[in-house]
Amino acid sequence: MFLINCPYCGQRDQSEFSAGGEAHIVRPKQPTELSDDQWAEYLFMRKNIKGVQFERWNHTHGCRKWFNMVRDTSNDKIHAIYKMGEKPPIK
Amino acid sequence: MLNFNSPIIDTKEYSEIKISEVEPILKINLRGKNRNFITKIGKELSIITPVDPNTSSSNEKLNLLWLSPDEWFLYSNDKIGLKDFYLLEDRLFNEISKVKLGSVTNVSDHWIMIHLNGKKVYELLSAGCPFNFNNFKNSKGAVTQTLLNHIDVIIHNKNTNDLNLFVRRSFSAHLWSWLNDSARFI
Repeated sequence: MFLINCPYCGQRDQSEFSAGGEAHIVRPKQPTELSDDQWAEYLFMRKNIKGVQFERWNHTHGCRKWFNMVRDTSNDKIHAIYKMGEKPPIK
Repeated sequence: MLNFNSPIIDTKEYSEIKISEVEPILKINLRGKNRNFITKIGKELSIITPVDPNTSSSNEKLNLLWLSPDEWFLYSNDKIGLKDFYLLEDRLFNEISKVKLGSVTNVSDHWIMIHLNGKKVYELLSAGCPFNFNNFKNSKGAVTQTLLNHIDVIIHNKNTNDLNLFVRRSFSAHLWSWLNDSARFI
């Protein structure tokens, strides 16, 4: 259990949030021109890193807004939280 | 609203906690993003629209709660007549929805309001809630959306140890049972 600082509501318990998977995956501009393998790569393949990962989260039981988080998956340390559409504050 | 059937209709008193259902009252969900929408709500309701997170505004008849940067929750203080209810809803619909400024949704039957007051009210809530009430209980008008016994709730701090809690109708009987059961042991 850990605390997450929602960019809209402030600090809340993790149980109020839902993880939405890896962030910054860009939808292909012309999906019809992709092969099945390329489409599957976009749709299903995720890095699932043990370490610092860029993720999407949703404040499901609060403001219901999506945001991005940079989290170390090995120890749940949160390095940064930023709104959708914003560039990651760290690389 | 025409055939409103409350799932609870009850009031319970425990040592320093009183729990009662307050129904039927007007509840409207307002959604919109632009500045004109925010100005229009304030003008129609004679309330300053709360734009700061977790805050609310009130006047004699109505309360407007901040839910998210583009969502607000309006509810009436008292049990009101059907006539007043339809007039206000129609006015908001005509001024906001019809001109595509935002959306106005009647959620009177969707949410149930439970009024909690008494010195031990925060002890009761803390028994099943991950939210930290330390700052909340000292801020009159504060609003939070959180989980209570794993159920989504909206909590509005009306006054010192005086709260209004909103729960979805389908969960209301279960939450009511939990509140009463927990209050016995506080």
